[in-house]
Amino acid sequence: MFFHIFLERNMLLHPRHFGPHLRDKLIAKLMKDIEGTCSGRHGFVVAITGVEDIGKGLIREGTGFVTFPVKYKCVVFRPFKGEILEAVVTMVNKMGFFAEAGPVQIFVSNHLIPDDMEFQSGDVPNYTTSDGSVKIQKESEVRLKIIGTRVDATEIFCIGTIKDDFLGVINDPGAAS
Amino acid sequence: MSSFEPFNRLVRLAARAFYDDITMKGDNQPKTGRGDNRGMAVVVLDALTRRQWVREEDLAKALKLHSKQLRRTLRFFEEEKLVTREHRKETAKGVKIYNAAIAATADGQQPVKEGDEKNKIHTHSYCCLDYAQIYDVVRYRLHRMKKKLKDELDSRNTIQQYICPNCGKRYSAFDALQLVSMIDEYFHCENCNGELIAESDKFAVEEMGDGDDNARRRRREKLRDMLQKMEEQLKPLMTQLARVKDLAVPEFGGLLAWEARVQATARVIGDSNASDSKSSLGQGYGGTPMPFLGETRVEVALPGMDVKEEDTGLDTKSASMKVLPPWMIKKGMVLTKEQRGEVKAGIETAQSLYTTDEKKPGAEKEEGKNIQDEYLKAYYAALVKRQEEQEAASRKMQEEGETYKASAAEFSNGIGELTDRQVGMKSKRENDENDNVYWEDSTSTVSGNVGETFKLADLNAQPEASGDDEEDIDWEEG
Repeated sequence: MFFHIFLERNMLLHPRHFGPHLRDKLIAKLMKDIEGTCSGRHGFVVAITGVEDIGKGLIREGTGFVTFPVKYKCVVFRPFKGEILEAVVTMVNKMGFFAEAGPVQIFVSNHLIPDDMEFQSGDVPNYTTSDGSVKIQKESEVRLKIIGTRVDATEIFCIGTIKDDFLGVINDPGAAS
Repeated sequence: MSSFEPFNRLVRLAARAFYDDITMKGDNQPKTGRGDNRGMAVVVLDALTRRQWVREEDLAKALKLHSKQLRRTLRFFEEEKLVTREHRKETAKGVKIYNAAIAATADGQQPVKEGDEKNKIHTHSYCCLDYAQIYDVVRYRLHRMKKKLKDELDSRNTIQQYICPNCGKRYSAFDALQLVSMIDEYFHCENCNGELIAESDKFAVEEMGDGDDNARRRRREKLRDMLQKMEEQLKPLMTQLARVKDLAVPEFGGLLAWEARVQATARVIGDSNASDSKSSLGQGYGGTPMPFLGETRVEVALPGMDVKEEDTGLDTKSASMKVLPPWMIKKGMVLTKEQRGEVKAGIETAQSLYTTDEKKPGAEKEEGKNIQDEYLKAYYAALVKRQEEQEAASRKMQEEGETYKASAAEFSNGIGELTDRQVGMKSKRENDENDNVYWEDSTSTVSGNVGETFKLADLNAQPEASGDDEEDIDWEEG
């Protein structure tokens, strides 16, 4: 789920940036540092939409670095248990398949794939129904439900299922081509 | 009634299935044997199936429960979406409206009590079963129960566990990213690089047959057992649900709407003769949602004719007696006029038309009669179809002419008498044009008794009819 929230961070700025474009430099550094990171608490920071406030800088003794408390608004993405997501399959193996929904990695084990889909090894490993109408392979788009999340300080990993109503392949590249 | 019964049965079944064991207890009350009120929920629901909208105090009194206790139960049911409640501030008058409605459902009579009116305002709560919602709620509940059990049985939402057969190290699916190897498509142990096995696999269970697995298997067994038991025990409920599926759900509407409807029904019922009221009450009771009730009533009016014909025995008596107390007529009148739709009126005229035709061949000589007939003809000239009917009727009458001629002597006497009466009647009725019901009775009698046996009685009745007829016309014109 996406959220648009305020966050705060102390930015450390090198003295060489002190000059007429200090503020721009600070914001550029903030974006470079923050965007794409993941915190266990808020999830993935997708984008910074604005800087709300930059506080007074504090010069560190000895180094000359300055810390600025920066308050900024950003879009974060955090997966939840029970959430339905659309994801792109990245890898298929005998144990199940991996998929990505933006920055989030999701693993769907073969027990959570419908029973009528069987693993087919070969050049392009895939899961296929007995009649061959539905095929899950690399680059397939699937709709899945998250049934578990493991949130570390810097990483979120999810387990999904497609063994439920209205879940499964939503766009099969094999069928389209 | 018929449309209610399956739903009531559904409610009763659901009550016993799901609310049998619910205790309605305040959190601060200690759990004592005395305060054990399990099963009360069932009693309340059962009581509600026998009622429509009911004031909660009345329900409490009827069930001999404390009103607080009842309210707690009802609030619970409201949360469960089985019951709709309505609260309103009302004076004694509002209570009276409700009482009237209740009385109407009870015996089809509307007590008209005016009098002591206190302006004290109380908040009264009313409650009523919400059948449509109950149906959905019960279905949803069953669905959730089944789904939960089945999900657990299929270990659908459980995180897969993996075991390394070499070193016995366990992994969960969360570690999948680290375990996946680039060489082949299996997971590999971080310690010994052995191939991992999904825990629920047969092989793994055999290999690692420890207590944990046994417990898991027992749990599965238990789940399956539970599911089966559920299917079995809730079977009646499910069949009832299936039975109810295609039936129209009875709806009472809001409290106000319900009151209005019940009273309207009561008026309609009070209108038709009292002996009839029981059966027609059933009609109104189990009947359609209230906005349509009026219409339904009009449609029913056709079969209602049959009913009246069945009742002719009674009616003939009254017709032959003929002298109805004026107060009685009046009372019936007012109600009829309000309630009868256009269709009814049309039928009436048709009937009266027949009666005119019947008397026509006999009454031809009469001068006043003639004028009247002319008038009638002029009036009906526009209605071609009816004229055809007239012709048919007159033909019929000519066939029966012999019989008429046979009793010609009596006839002429009768006519002299009749005209007199007619005139008198007319003058009387011009004063009071609400005689509608009375005519109707007599007309129906006439139409009902075309048989020979009633000929004489018929003659008596005819002038009545002719009088009516004119009245009718006057009424229509005016």
